[in-house]
Order: sequence, then structure tokens, then C-alpha cells
Amino acid sequence: MVLTHSPAVQLTDVYKRYSDVTAVDYLDLDVKRGEIFGLLGPNGSGKSTTLKMILGLVKPDSGYVNVLGINVEEDPVAVKRKVGYVPESPHVYEFLTGLEFLDFAGDVYGMKPDEKKKRIEEFLRALELEGREGDTISSYSEGMKQKVVIISAIMHRPELLLLDEPLSGLDPKSARIVKDLLRQLASQGVTAVMSTHILEIAQAMCDRIAIMYEGRLLALGTMEELRQRARMPDSGLEDIFLKLTGTGDIKPIVEALMK
Amino acid sequence: MNWKNVLLLVGVEIKSYRMVRGSKFRRFRESRLVTYGLFVGACLIGALIGWAFGSFYHGVSASDLKNLLLQGATYLFISLPTLSLLYGIVFTQMNQIQRIGVKKSIEPLYWFPISWKERTLASILANVLGVPLVISIFIGSSIFVASIFFGLIPLAVLTIFALLASVILASVTTEILKVLQVRAYGAVTRVAGRRAVWVRLLGSILFFIIFYGFYFSFYYSVTPIALIESVAGGQRMLWFLPYVWPGMALSTFVSKLWVEMAAFSLASLIFIYALFVAATNLNTRFGLYEAPSIRISYGVYVPRAGVLGRLGFSALEEAIMRKDFRAFTRRNELMYIFIFPIISIIVPILSAMRGSTALPSTFSSFLFVYLTLLPGTLMTIVLGTIIVGSEGESIWYLYSSPISAKSLVKAKYSFIILFGLFVTSICSLITSLLTTPSIQVAFIGFFEAVFLIFSLAMVSLTCGIKGADFRELLPRPSMIRPKWGFINMAVCFATGLAIIAPMIPYAMKLIFQAGESWLTMPMSLSEYYPYIALLTSGVIAAVITYIFRKTALNSAEQLLAKAEG
Repeated sequence: MVLTHSPAVQLTDVYKRYSDVTAVDYLDLDVKRGEIFGLLGPNGSGKSTTLKMILGLVKPDSGYVNVLGINVEEDPVAVKRKVGYVPESPHVYEFLTGLEFLDFAGDVYGMKPDEKKKRIEEFLRALELEGREGDTISSYSEGMKQKVVIISAIMHRPELLLLDEPLSGLDPKSARIVKDLLRQLASQGVTAVMSTHILEIAQAMCDRIAIMYEGRLLALGTMEELRQRARMPDSGLEDIFLKLTGTGDIKPIVEALMK
Repeated sequence: MNWKNVLLLVGVEIKSYRMVRGSKFRRFRESRLVTYGLFVGACLIGALIGWAFGSFYHGVSASDLKNLLLQGATYLFISLPTLSLLYGIVFTQMNQIQRIGVKKSIEPLYWFPISWKERTLASILANVLGVPLVISIFIGSSIFVASIFFGLIPLAVLTIFALLASVILASVTTEILKVLQVRAYGAVTRVAGRRAVWVRLLGSILFFIIFYGFYFSFYYSVTPIALIESVAGGQRMLWFLPYVWPGMALSTFVSKLWVEMAAFSLASLIFIYALFVAATNLNTRFGLYEAPSIRISYGVYVPRAGVLGRLGFSALEEAIMRKDFRAFTRRNELMYIFIFPIISIIVPILSAMRGSTALPSTFSSFLFVYLTLLPGTLMTIVLGTIIVGSEGESIWYLYSSPISAKSLVKAKYSFIILFGLFVTSICSLITSLLTTPSIQVAFIGFFEAVFLIFSLAMVSLTCGIKGADFRELLPRPSMIRPKWGFINMAVCFATGLAIIAPMIPYAMKLIFQAGESWLTMPMSLSEYYPYIALLTSGVIAAVITYIFRKTALNSAEQLLAKAEG
């Protein structure tokens, strides 16, 4: 893991509200360079909004967002050039083929033709899209679309990856490849901020985990630190998560449903 | 057959039609009261019109006219089933075309315990229970009330049954065509391979050319009476075609050929049933058929160095333009942009060809101005309005990519300009061949069109960015919010008028020169006037382009900076 002193992502007192709903409630967060950082939280806890604010897609009502030393509000294009983003439910240009979309993505990120060709071919082979790359994306399954979007986010070698549920819809082999790839990238100094509902993945992959609830940061730290915080020394992330978010008592709900 | 399943499915199908047609007034359209009100309204209005015709007939004293009207009414009754069949097929086909792009609304719920027979019947009934039924009720009540005055009640009653049979016949036929279309589309895609995109684009354009050519030539040459006469006569000649059998049953009834009438009636019912069986079998076999995907590229991937790079476009701008070109040639809902100029050319040419062989000189001047300025300009305006909204929900990719407002505006604007200039060049060529203008007039006309394209592209792009609608609604995304659509039209009209204003006196002079001898130009123009006017037009166009470019850049910056909307 390559760590430098200045954080890759720095959120200071960030607040965001949508009409009468507070999405992010004065959030302070530092993500170190080269770490895989997990954002956990129930639906509507503000994870996706946080990721969008980091990329400059959503403007905070107050507070500051700094990414790789750049103020997002001041120069969003410079930030986007260094970031790869995978949204939660990506809509891709379905009239393009997978290859055309990746070619488009390569041009958008200013990749050189040779480099672009090499990376596209490597990724297509690794994620088993070879043979289907010439088909229009409209004929792809959801998992295949997700693979195309992941490739488009990684192939230009960004310094920061923002991944919103990146493994959803992927088959086990592709999910494993993406996970190993993220670890490799992290070892080379690439930072990844990942939002996920799959707690096993967060536990296995992330160096540090932030648990969000109703726009606030409930807990932040390594797995060990989270265990200590929850006073659950031998528990997994699922139990800690349920305890911290106050949704642990699910037994009566299941019993009621079975009646 | 489980009739409960059929009725449930009919409800689902009808609801899916509503979904496809859009969300406006859905609350009213979903109300049963409104639906029944429509049926009752159609019945009352039909009866009123029938009563009006009947009263008119009753009031006529001249026996010649009375006989003529009676004969006309009989012809009308006989031809109605075939007419309604034609109408029914066109209507239900249009319905299917609307639904074909909306996969989720036509995908059968194959995992439910419902047979294909029930599904097919429900689909057929749902096609009937809508506008076709409202129109049938309207026509039925109208002819029934009129027949009381004409003394044709038995024929009217039979006509109503034949009408219903024809509507069902149309619906069953559509059901068959629906399956065959999907299957044929799949076969064409498989055979055509990477050419499938072009086959589809050119096929769509050809379809619309034929459709509009047929429609306008029909519109300009056939009167309703001639149509009724030709249908009534034509079906007798084509008696061997099962589709005219309901009409033949009426025709033989009028001729008092009772055996033939019974035979045609029975044969019509058997034919409907046979088609239903065929539709069920086709659905069973191909109902879940997935058309193969279009494979566009094979083999080794070689990144292409585009021509546009040499013209000063960055790789990013070129990528956006290439992507937009693919969108407009591959997306069904965007292909209509190519049909626009084609219709603009077909309509005046058909009306020019109507009746006479040589074009009158005033019309020739009008045609020159029309064909040089209008198609390219209209296409530019429409493209500018929708080109940003057409990104749809995939806009997130542009939002999250390192695209500056300047690059976005440059790429989109250049794309519109290239298309507009291409269409204008083609139209100018056609116009020059048709109207043989002087070199001076052709030169001025072409450059005036170019000025319009350059400035109105920026105007409409500005409105397109400000009013972009990225929601992917059914049946097709609107791409521009209605308010901005109207604003764009008004601003384009005003700015377009400002650009061509200096040229109006010259255009008037040409028209007066070509016109009748009693028309004279109220003032004289110097020989340099057209060039001064052209220069002035160019300056006005440049100023408008400059002003709107600034607005477009600001709007694009806002769009990219605030992706929440």
C-alpha cells in the first residue's frame, strides 16, 4: 500500500439537502492515498450522494470537497480526468457496441491509440467479453453492461476510483478479477472509494470502512477498530453493521412475516 | 380456454397501450366512466350525424337526386367493412410500431400459467377494444339511424356485424404480422450482419418515402366518393380474397343472392377462426423469440484516426461527434430526423407535378427558395433542439467525464452544422435541377441557407441545452421540455427572419419579375443590392451566433456542473 501524507479525498463539513430530506449531514472524511475505502450504510444513508459530491456531480450546500489536492468546485474537469467512476445503475449508450463504447471512453480520457487498444483488449479478455465486443450493448445482460462500465472506469489508469456497488450483477469469476484488480491498483497507489451492500466484500477488501446512517458518519476505522467501537470483539461486519445502525433486532420481523 | 385469464390479460394489454401512448391525461383515460362515456358519446354523435343525413334524404323531393343518394348509401354500406378493415390494419399496425421499441410492455409474462391461446385472444381483443371499437360504434350508430330514413335497416344491421368482423379480422392479422415482423427482423439482422444498421436505417427511410409518397399522391388525387366507388367495385373483382368476404356478404345481400350471402358470411367466420389458430401457433413457436443482436465489428480492433482531427477537433470532441452520428443512424426514435428533409422535398414536388407538366415561374421561384432554405434549416433546428436531450439517462457518462463546456458545445454544434450543410447541399442541387435558377440566385440562396444553418444551430443548441429532458419516457423520450421547445421555435423564427430580412426586397423583385405583367416592383434595386444584402445577412448571422454561443457555453457549464436535475 502506498500512502502519502495528503489525503486522496478530503470532505470537510459537507452538507447536502434535497428539499426536506438531509442526504449528507456535515460529513468530515479523509481517504488516504492508496487505500481501499468502504462506504457502508442502509438504503438512503447518503453513500451515493457522497460519492457524487466527491466527483463534482453534486454540489454540496456547504462544506468543501478536495480530491487529489484539487478543490472539486473550482476545477471539476481536472478532478474527473484523474477519477474513474462506476455509478450504481449505469445507463450506457445501448446503440454502441461494447468496443465502440470503450473506444469512446478511451478518447474521452485522452488515451493514446496504442495504449487504448492494448488495455481494451486486455480487459475484454480478462472479463470474458471477447467475442461479444462487436455486439450492440442493447443485447448485453446487466452483468455484461456492468463489466463494460468497470472497464471504462479503470482502463485509463485513474488515480482515484469511485465505485458505487461495483460488483452487482457480476459473475463470481469476474467479481474475483475485479476485486484482485482493485488490490493490485491499490498496491500501485490508486485509491478506491467503494460503496457496497455486500458486507463480506467490504470486510475482505477494504482497508478502512465508514458506516453511514441518515447522512451522518456512525463509525470509521479498520475492522479491528470497528469491533472495538461496537464492543463485539469476535463479530463479523454484518453484526457490527446491524448493531451500529440500530437494525439488529430482525427476529420479530421475520416471525411476523411467517405468521 | 380460461376466460378469466383472457379478461385479466385484456386489462393488462389495454393498460400497456396507455403506458406506451404517454402519461398525459392518464388519470382520465384510466377512468371507466370516461371509457364508457366515449362509447356513449360515439354512439350519440354517430346517431346525430345519421339523423342529419337521413333528414336531408327525407327532405329531398327530386326523385333523381333521391335515387342517387340511395345508391350512394348502398355503396357506402357495402364498402364499409373493407374500408374499416384497411383502417383497422393501419391503426393496429401503427400501434404495434409504437410498442415495438418498448420491450417491457410487450414481453409476455411467460412464467405465469397462461396458455398461448389465451394470450393471443387477449391481445386480439385488446387491439379491438379501443379506438377501433369507438369508431365502429360511431359508424354503426350513424348508419343505423340513417338507414331508418333510407329504408335500409336489414342492410344496416348486417353492415354493423360485418364491420365488427372486419375489425376483428384486422386485429388477428396484426397479431400474425407482429410475430412475423419480429421473426423477419431477426432473419434480416442475421443475414445482414454488420450491414443490419444500414439496412434498418435505409429501410425506415424508404418506408416513410413510400408511405408519404402514397399518402400525398392519394391525398391530391382521390376524393372520398371515388374511394368508396373503387372499394365497392374492387371487392367484387377481388371476391376470391378472404379479406373482402364480409363486404361480399353485404354485396350479395343487396343483390338478393341468399345462398352466396350465407356462404360468404360463413366463410368470413371460418377465415377469422383459421387466422386465430395460425396466430396462436405462430405465437407458440416464436412468441418468445429474441431477435439476434446486431454484430457490428468483427476481428481485430484497430483504433481509427479520424478525419476530424485534422480539422482541429480534439480526440474527445471527435469521439462525441462519432457517437452522435451512430446514435442518429442506429436509434429508432432519432431516425425521423432524416425523414424531415425528405418530406419537405416530396410535398412541394408532388404538388408541383399535380396537373401540369411545366412549373409556373412564380411557383418555380417559391420552390427554389423553399427547397434551398427550408429542409436544411428545419433539420438544423430539430437537431439542435434534441441533440443534448437525446443523451438520455446515459448523460451520467458525460457528467462524470473530463468534458469541458467548450468541448461539449463545439462537438454538438459542429455535428449539427455538418448535417445541416449536407442536407442543404443536396437540396440545392435538386432545386437547381428542378427550377434552373441563375448562377447569382443559386449562389445567394445557398449562402443565405448556410447563414441560417450556422446561426440557428447555435440558437437551437442553446435552447436544447437549457431545456434538455433526459428522462427516458414511453413511448419515446421527449428530449426537450415542451416550454423550451416553444421558446426555441419562437426564437428561431425571429432570428431567422432577422437574418433573411435584408434579402426580402431582392426576393420580392424576383417574384415580381417572374409574376404576371400587372405586378410591378414599387422600388428599384441596384445591381449590387443582392451582394450588400447577403453581406448584411452574414453579419447579422455572425452576431446572432456569437451572442448565442456565449449563452450556450454558460448553459453547458451549468449543465455539467450541476448534474442533480
